Amino acid sequence: MHTITKPFSGYFFAIQFILYAFFVSNLTAAEIIVNSTVPFQDYSVQDARAIFTMHKRFWSNNKPIKVYVLSDNNLLHKDFIKKKLNMFPHQVRRAWDRMTYSGTGSAPVELDTEHEMIEKIANTPDSIGYLSSKPNNENIRSFELH
Amino acid sequence: MKIFVHSNFIKRLKAFIDRVSAAGEESGFGGFLAPESCLSNRAVLMGLFVIISPGAAADTKLLPEEFQLHGFMTQGFFHTSGNNVFGQSDDGISPGLTEIGINLNYQPWDRLRFAAQGLYRRAGDVDPGSVRLDYGLADFTLFEHENGKAGVRAGRLKIPYGLYNETRDVAFTHPTILLPQGIYFDRSRSLMLSADGGALYAEYRTDYGDFNFKLNAGMPSNELGEIKTVVLATNKAQGEFNTKPALAAQLSYELNGGEFIFAVSYMDLAFDYSPLPGETTFVGVPLTKSTTRIQPLLFSAQYNGENITLTGEYNYRWNNFGNFAQFGGGKFITESWYIEGSYRILPELQATVRYNTISIDKDDREGEGAELLGFPRHVAFAQDWVFGLRYDITPSWMVRAEYQLVHGTAWLPQADNPDPFKTRQDWDLYGLQFSFKF
Repeated sequence: MHTITKPFSGYFFAIQFILYAFFVSNLTAAEIIVNSTVPFQDYSVQDARAIFTMHKRFWSNNKPIKVYVLSDNNLLHKDFIKKKLNMFPHQVRRAWDRMTYSGTGSAPVELDTEHEMIEKIANTPDSIGYLSSKPNNENIRSFELH
Repeated sequence: MKIFVHSNFIKRLKAFIDRVSAAGEESGFGGFLAPESCLSNRAVLMGLFVIISPGAAADTKLLPEEFQLHGFMTQGFFHTSGNNVFGQSDDGISPGLTEIGINLNYQPWDRLRFAAQGLYRRAGDVDPGSVRLDYGLADFTLFEHENGKAGVRAGRLKIPYGLYNETRDVAFTHPTILLPQGIYFDRSRSLMLSADGGALYAEYRTDYGDFNFKLNAGMPSNELGEIKTVVLATNKAQGEFNTKPALAAQLSYELNGGEFIFAVSYMDLAFDYSPLPGETTFVGVPLTKSTTRIQPLLFSAQYNGENITLTGEYNYRWNNFGNFAQFGGGKFITESWYIEGSYRILPELQATVRYNTISIDKDDREGEGAELLGFPRHVAFAQDWVFGLRYDITPSWMVRAEYQLVHGTAWLPQADNPDPFKTRQDWDLYGLQFSFKF
């Protein structure tokens, strides 16, 4: 019996692991979202970086960009920085801290939960943030990178 | 107007106050605050908390979103063998370095921003405790382009110099407790901290990297007591220092969102010294009214990988010490550089190794000139190895420890070591630091 169950349990764990990995990666796959007032345009990864590191401050219609993020140790935040900005969380933190504590700029507003993020982006014109999936909200749309 | 304050701030401040209060009640805060002052400090913190958060608990939307409030608090402990840093650290533990900063950023209009930071600092016998305006400025964006911007700042501005000078007192922004002292001297910090004046800045983003330029002009602080021995060859001088308008320029280039950073910084600083009648150097030569000019040029490079950070900076500094002209000299070049490697063992645990060297006069690395002026030779150089560990407990709490093996006393604070002949050439430094930020 043992010789039969062992490989089976091996498969079982392998499958469970794959499902788990799939589930976790899905759970934390970040999507950039904006308020529906944000102008449609071809945005690049460079644009997204410049926006989230607080260097690019205005949309093409001259409205000031309002940036919202989650806490540094939030898994979705880490995933967002790595996969959407192709940066490391410590690089982004360095940029924010340098501006915040030298008076040369300001950091994004930090929110606690995805629920708060939905509320903020839906109710703040010209805002940008990220979520694990785009909510069904007419004031929020996905921010596609080209 | 919508009222909102970032709720993390309230939570972190609350946690912070609870910890400070608990520490205060239990131990008198380890000598950092005298027991009798604990209550008042607690009261101040609670007062601050109450002012910022009237009826906060349930809903934390308090300040308009155009306001941002941030701050930090750092406490360091030091033990050394031989020489003193940040108070009496030789044969004991000195809790001598405390830094508390609070800043406010206010954006009333799209293109106009105000920012100010107050800084409390206590650093051994160099600074028994003082509060100063670290920066206070208005920032106006003149021009905003799809790929960049340009603007002006006026007021009290931080001086852009190297990778760390603008945030030198913010523990979170650099990897070790002490910055590389050959370049970011704590002794001459008042010259390098901030200056009252104006600045131009420009940023330009390209597909091949981002360029950032800053040009600052202004008056640095006059508090130069700590560099008396260096520029006057005596620690007894009681005359007056007067700084002259200074320039600072920095051009930096960042590739791939800061994966690679290169920067060139230059400063031009000068100050006069007016001696009191009868003042002399250590060896009895009369002091004269003189001007000292310092022009450092600094090259910086950094690689920021996921787990590895490599940093190097090279400093070439032209000096013209007017007081030494009477010895037939006074013009010399200081050279300093360091290389540093950091490895993130875990995302929140970072180990760092650094080698730093400085020769006050690059043509006299053994200190013969210092000896002629009446100093021990080892004031002319320092080489140190630094080994450090940093643990970021949460995004707002950090603790780190380091060991330094030092050969030479070029950057040793004079106020903590009044008699240069009682200092030791080879010494060790152990540091422990806690820091909080919001």
